[in-house]
Amino acid sequence: MTEPATWVDAYGDRLFRYALSRVRDGGSAEDLIQDTFVTALKSRDRFKGDSSELTWMTGILRNKIFEYYRRQAKETPLRPLDEESGSEQDFFDGRHWSVAAAPRDWGGEPAKSAESAEFAAALRRCLDALTEKVAGAFILREMEGVAADEVAGALGVPPGHLAVLLYRARMRLRSCLEKNHFAPEGA
Amino acid sequence: MSLLPSCRDVSKMLSEALDSGRPLGLHARIHLSICAVCRRVLAQFSLIRHGASRAPETGPALSDGAKSRIKALLK
Repeated sequence: MTEPATWVDAYGDRLFRYALSRVRDGGSAEDLIQDTFVTALKSRDRFKGDSSELTWMTGILRNKIFEYYRRQAKETPLRPLDEESGSEQDFFDGRHWSVAAAPRDWGGEPAKSAESAEFAAALRRCLDALTEKVAGAFILREMEGVAADEVAGALGVPPGHLAVLLYRARMRLRSCLEKNHFAPEGA
Repeated sequence: MSLLPSCRDVSKMLSEALDSGRPLGLHARIHLSICAVCRRVLAQFSLIRHGASRAPETGPALSDGAKSRIKALLK
């Protein structure tokens, strides 16, 4: 294993960008990086060399991110679902999509576009517009790949409530990414 | 009154199916076969999942102040 004194220069920026794409503010991302390096220092005897140091530290960081959302959920009282990023009412007119909110064709090569740095930046802006709990549900489930029951446990919500949070996240993100990345008006 | 679920219902079912990995029910599949807008939503939900898990990490580097502070802790 390399000398801990070299870790910040070697891995700091990449770990910070990973954290920043998953939490809302730079200060929290910095705290997570600091905790990650301190944990790595304390547990370096457990590093077996089966993966790269960066992969090992990213694993530590992912645990820190999970704990971050668990702490946030404990500090934030559970709100009625209607207060979590609004309801789906905005998108429908009776049984069908409203004309204004009906999903548009994203054209071009959306799969390629969804792997771009521009998509990542737009996703971050769109996540910022969600409530903490709705964004947390999406980040843990879709970006971190945490099992649904673990996400529900961390956020302190029943599984059915998590499904609603994820639905709201997908609906809001779909609309936001359409306007800001895939099919901006006037493009 | 239609026996088929509404677009609103189907959009919820699509999200739940994506999350659970379970297949959509028959009525939802029939709805999709005749509703191009809901088919588009299914594709877009899947695309967002794909992009969210693969998009490159972007943004600024760790600040010099934070680097100095963390380096001091690692000495």
